[in-house]
Amino acid sequence: MRKGMRAVGVCCVLALTMSNLAVTAMAAPATSERYLHVKVDDASKGESVNVNVPLSMAAAILPTVNHGSLHNGHVTIGETDFNGVDVRAMLDAIRNAPDNEFVTVKEKDQDVRVAKLNGNLIVHVLDKSKDGEKVDVTIPMKVVDALFSTAKDNELDIAAAIRALSDARDAVLVTVQDATEHVRIWIDSHSSGE
Amino acid sequence: MVLLGKVALGIAGTALAGIGLICSEGMIEVNVVEKQPEAHHVYVLAPAMLVPITMHFIPSRKLGNAAAEIKPWLPTIRAALEQLRAGEDVTLVEVREPGQHVLVTKSGGSVVVDVTDTDETVHVSAPIRAIESTVEQVAAAGSETQD
Repeated sequence: MRKGMRAVGVCCVLALTMSNLAVTAMAAPATSERYLHVKVDDASKGESVNVNVPLSMAAAILPTVNHGSLHNGHVTIGETDFNGVDVRAMLDAIRNAPDNEFVTVKEKDQDVRVAKLNGNLIVHVLDKSKDGEKVDVTIPMKVVDALFSTAKDNELDIAAAIRALSDARDAVLVTVQDATEHVRIWIDSHSSGE
Repeated sequence: MVLLGKVALGIAGTALAGIGLICSEGMIEVNVVEKQPEAHHVYVLAPAMLVPITMHFIPSRKLGNAAAEIKPWLPTIRAALEQLRAGEDVTLVEVREPGQHVLVTKSGGSVVVDVTDTDETVHVSAPIRAIESTVEQVAAAGSETQD
């Protein structure tokens, strides 16, 4: 009889422990938070600025800002900024096209290259002046699509782009390098910038 | 004698419960160390719950300007604080310059600001819940002023 009681007791303790573990596992915060990092290094002044923003926070904050050209997560841009180019039609064409280099401009002072590679829109700009500024932009096409997902032609949906970035893989989005400064914008799952 | 002991126990229990309640929202910590020309050290550790309580004693008209300025940004502040509170610990901003280092972090339910330069070091830590309560009270003071 005693042995039976002991067995029941042990079973109860085991069941309690298992249920506790299950509850703890369910309650444990998911570590899937994604971060947008911005790092600016100025070697000439010995300065560096590092900003790390959780993407969920950016997605929650942006729709609440109504200031200047930013409203409800959308930014309004002037018609002149597109110079009469139908950006949506152009993006449709790029999206459906195979990986390719679409634009290559080589000038005396500047080289520009626009390409699509592995689902990313890639822009390289090389300024050949004395500062020698080099800009590399790599944006997933899904993010570009989200950016232009608004109903209005003169608006960009920044909030949707941020949400699309949350689902993107770790990636360096923008690098700008000139004679003294280095700017880097990237996304990953690390809460610190290093 | 036994009755006296019971009374003492009751008082001690109430005091402990009171301290526990006051400290339940965490502590605000301010630590300033001046290095030059003379070394000064200011250290304040106060229960965060005292801030919203203190706000009750400030006349609404005195908070009018702050309330008016904060009003357009209230939804943004609310969203930011809510996300901060729910999120993981993170280094939000780090600035390094020759002789100066600024660090803004979210650490264990608090926003922490650390500034180190050649003249002084400053450390401020404030629980996010206390910041939320204070912001709401400033905003409420604005609506009272309008009424």
